[in-house]
Amino acid sequence: MSGKRYLGCSFPVLAGIVILMLILLLVGFLAGPVGSKMVLAVGKLFNESFTLPPWLSALSAISVDKPHPTLPPEAVFHIGSFPITNTVIAAWLTVIVLVLLTYFATRRMKLVPRGIQKLIEYAIDSLLSLCNSIAGEKNGRRFLPVVATIFLFVLFNAWLSLLPGFGSITVTGHEGHAVHLLRGANTDINMPLALAIVSFIAVEFYGVKLLGSRLYLSKFLNFGRFFQGMRHLFTGKMKSGISEVFSGVIDIFVGILEAFSELIRLVSFTFRLFGNMTAGEILLLIVVFLAPWVIVEIFFVLEIFIGLIQALIFSTLTLVFLTMATSHGNAESEHGED
Amino acid sequence: MDAGTMKMLAAALAIGLGALGPSIAIGILGFGAMQALGRNPEARGPIGTNMILAIAMAEAIAIYALIVAIILAMIA
Repeated sequence: MSGKRYLGCSFPVLAGIVILMLILLLVGFLAGPVGSKMVLAVGKLFNESFTLPPWLSALSAISVDKPHPTLPPEAVFHIGSFPITNTVIAAWLTVIVLVLLTYFATRRMKLVPRGIQKLIEYAIDSLLSLCNSIAGEKNGRRFLPVVATIFLFVLFNAWLSLLPGFGSITVTGHEGHAVHLLRGANTDINMPLALAIVSFIAVEFYGVKLLGSRLYLSKFLNFGRFFQGMRHLFTGKMKSGISEVFSGVIDIFVGILEAFSELIRLVSFTFRLFGNMTAGEILLLIVVFLAPWVIVEIFFVLEIFIGLIQALIFSTLTLVFLTMATSHGNAESEHGED
Repeated sequence: MDAGTMKMLAAALAIGLGALGPSIAIGILGFGAMQALGRNPEARGPIGTNMILAIAMAEAIAIYALIVAIILAMIA
């Protein structure tokens, strides 16, 4: 009957799909390791020699086997003595997808965008408004390349690793045993470390470039007050001299702590992204092993959301640290003039 | 107690105790965000964005604990 449509389908079609999914869910759960053991235990309660019905044992035989996740990535082939791991191949795939997407967005550009051009313009517009809202109008456009690159690279790495093919296609590795051809690039600890190093170098570079090296480095090497205190001591003003020497020592200590906290950011960026992505991959593998076929769809939605959030976190934190590094001097001088 | 048993116990303790602090932290952050949203419903955008940012920083600590547990249980 024509009338109210639920999700684009009429009501009987929707009911049919829901019933089909429920059947698949139940059969899949029973065919997995947890469900088949439950069926065996319940059956043995009633009948001592109870075996699985043939259709259930056949389904269990083709179910997923136990996952063996390895944290270091496996090398697929070598170029000379340089190993090309499956995560490197996935990263190349991400780069190719990004380049093709933006290439086709700029063919036959119109003033009012349609299609892929509209999608890319939306992405870049959102990123630019994010940069402007956090870094201010002056520096927002300047920080956009680094922030947008980190965001799009992490996002496409995370989302492409959810497509079928990642973790299913196996080739024979150079040692003879089977190796997955593709693996999400964020699950290799080297890739988040590389991005963290890029973000660190960008923060230092923009800090020195926009503030001047003397003003920026004075945040870390804060010897001014210490030497001023020594001068006061030697010219006879003992009381102010000693207090300034003490404040100077504290300033030096705070400067060393600031430098250390900049370096610790490398570790925290790396492990935040690596941990989220690896834990998500292992979660998907384990859920697919325990209850095959249908339940894992919920976790795929969770993984999509987590991929977006982690890309946003990485790029927004880089932006925040860039803003703090390039405005620190201005804030200090404003306080000093009061 | 042999090494295998200790490893399993260590993995369970690592993730169990390691997830206590971050979950309480995320709860406190959510509480603060809800309070701020209740006082000023118009500031929904900035409040939400900053809350997500702070929650991700707190969650990173739980992820460190999860990595240790995964390494203990599956790799070593």
